Amino acid sequence: MIEVKNVSAGYSGIDVIENISLKLEVGLNLSIVGPNGCGKSTLLKAIAGIIPIKGDVLIDGKSIKTMKRAEIAKKIAVMSQMSAIYFSYTVFETVLLGRYVAMKDNFLKEASQQDKAYVEKCLEAVGMLEYKDRQIDCLSGGELQRVFLARTLAQEPEIILLDEPTNHLDLKCQHELILYLKNWSKDHKHSVIGVFHDINHAMELADHLLVLEKGHIKALGKAEEIIKSGLLNDVYEMDIKKYMLNSLKKWEFVN
Amino acid sequence: MKTKIKIFISILSSIIVLVLGVAIGSVYVEPLKILTIIFGKILSQPISADLNENLISIIWDIRLPRVLAAFLVGGALAASGTVMQSILKNPLASSYTLGVSSGASVGVGLVLITGFSIPVLGNFTLPLIGLLSGLVTVYLVITITAQIDRNMGNTTIILFGMIFSLFINAVTTLIMALSRETLPRLIYWQMGSFALKSWLDVKILAVIFVGCYLILIRYTNELDIMTFGEEQALAIGVEVKKVKWILLILSAALTGSAVAFTGVIGFIDLIAPHVVRKIFGSSHKLVVPISILFGGTFMVACDLVARILVSNSELPVGAVTALIGAPFFAYVYFKNRKVR
Repeated sequence: MIEVKNVSAGYSGIDVIENISLKLEVGLNLSIVGPNGCGKSTLLKAIAGIIPIKGDVLIDGKSIKTMKRAEIAKKIAVMSQMSAIYFSYTVFETVLLGRYVAMKDNFLKEASQQDKAYVEKCLEAVGMLEYKDRQIDCLSGGELQRVFLARTLAQEPEIILLDEPTNHLDLKCQHELILYLKNWSKDHKHSVIGVFHDINHAMELADHLLVLEKGHIKALGKAEEIIKSGLLNDVYEMDIKKYMLNSLKKWEFVN
Repeated sequence: MKTKIKIFISILSSIIVLVLGVAIGSVYVEPLKILTIIFGKILSQPISADLNENLISIIWDIRLPRVLAAFLVGGALAASGTVMQSILKNPLASSYTLGVSSGASVGVGLVLITGFSIPVLGNFTLPLIGLLSGLVTVYLVITITAQIDRNMGNTTIILFGMIFSLFINAVTTLIMALSRETLPRLIYWQMGSFALKSWLDVKILAVIFVGCYLILIRYTNELDIMTFGEEQALAIGVEVKKVKWILLILSAALTGSAVAFTGVIGFIDLIAPHVVRKIFGSSHKLVVPISILFGGTFMVACDLVARILVSNSELPVGAVTALIGAPFFAYVYFKNRKVR
């Protein structure tokens, strides 16, 4: 179980999120939504212990403040928003970096045959095995996103944190990615916490929604109930249902 | 081309350049005679009567230590550049950016002005003070950066390093302006040279550098991960702050020792990792050792050119590294790019 207790965090001494508290049982997924700048990505980084926090985050009852990075990485993996590539690696080398903690236990810090086999398994899972010898700076945004997902999976974490994972992906890939993660967490031993801009994606992944507004929790609960309450309209300052139905109308001419 | 073949060609080229470095000079000595002298000396066997004492002395006492010192220093600068570029995620970063050479210059300037000498160390006072001042500078840069930015962000480190470096350069300029009698010596030292390097120099450099390399090789996975950014490195399980400290100090020790023993020689730390990445890919398991090999070989070649280009005179090796390195770097880096 992951427990966030009164967490405040931010940058340059200014808190972007304040007093956030939530609990998530392993096996459940959670989608975080909210307008730009409400603190969604900051909350993910705080949960992963990537940025300094006030308050605490407990993983299976243990504070991340007392855990070493390797210990946290065994429990939580983060798939961040895509960043610039400074030095190019092959797809296989990139995913193998996800085995860092596993390789660390090995005196020579070399990848074992099991590590290599696991990397291939992860690449196969995201449909990138045939690209394993390609340089990552030659890949499209979508392909790169899948490579980073494979690297996240290679960590063998219990919980995956996703920061806008569907960016750069075409419609089919977006759907496949969410479906894959949903299946991955189906065994009740894994959880996914994802930040989304698209409410449809958020609901596709998780039954539970966390709505953030200006760094505070506006709502936390079952997705259906939150949507029925109309609260999202207030947060996004627009009639979301009307927008979606209007979008749908544009498809009416299709049989 | 397969990686193993590329490695074989690199090692072979390196051996050829090293042999040429020893063979070519005011007197040309055939490679076979060089090998005879080297093996004779190493195995303490009598050396063939065809080789006179002068020739043996030129090879064993003058050229070989010089070539080995150049190889060691070139390798150290290249290793340091590789580390700096990877952890600071900046292809133009080097230990010089963080003020190692500036710090070392101040230390050396003060030693030259005051005539300070540590009794037991004698002539080694200068390199030791140079090394220590370079290390202290990097330590100050990192410590103060950590105070300003708790996460020790790369941009903060580079910016503060450059500010600090400029400040210390101004101090060196002041020292030089106020003590005109030591000016020529300081300028000569800053130009960089491998002249008069002894076996003792080689032994000291070898101990420092091999020690640093052994630690560095243990951190190649971390170097790979950190090129993707610190947040991703933390998420994958790297103790970023600790690793960064270790690698920055290690890199400063490599450059600091090199600068302290031979003066300021730039460019190799910048080009070696770039050229190697272009040929061997980015994995640090290869980039680190091959950069050391390339940097060392390149330095020996530059020193050879510096020695023989103008007869009866020696050019500053730092100038030669840049004169040869800049066009070579441009060729390697841009040769496959299409005109847009």
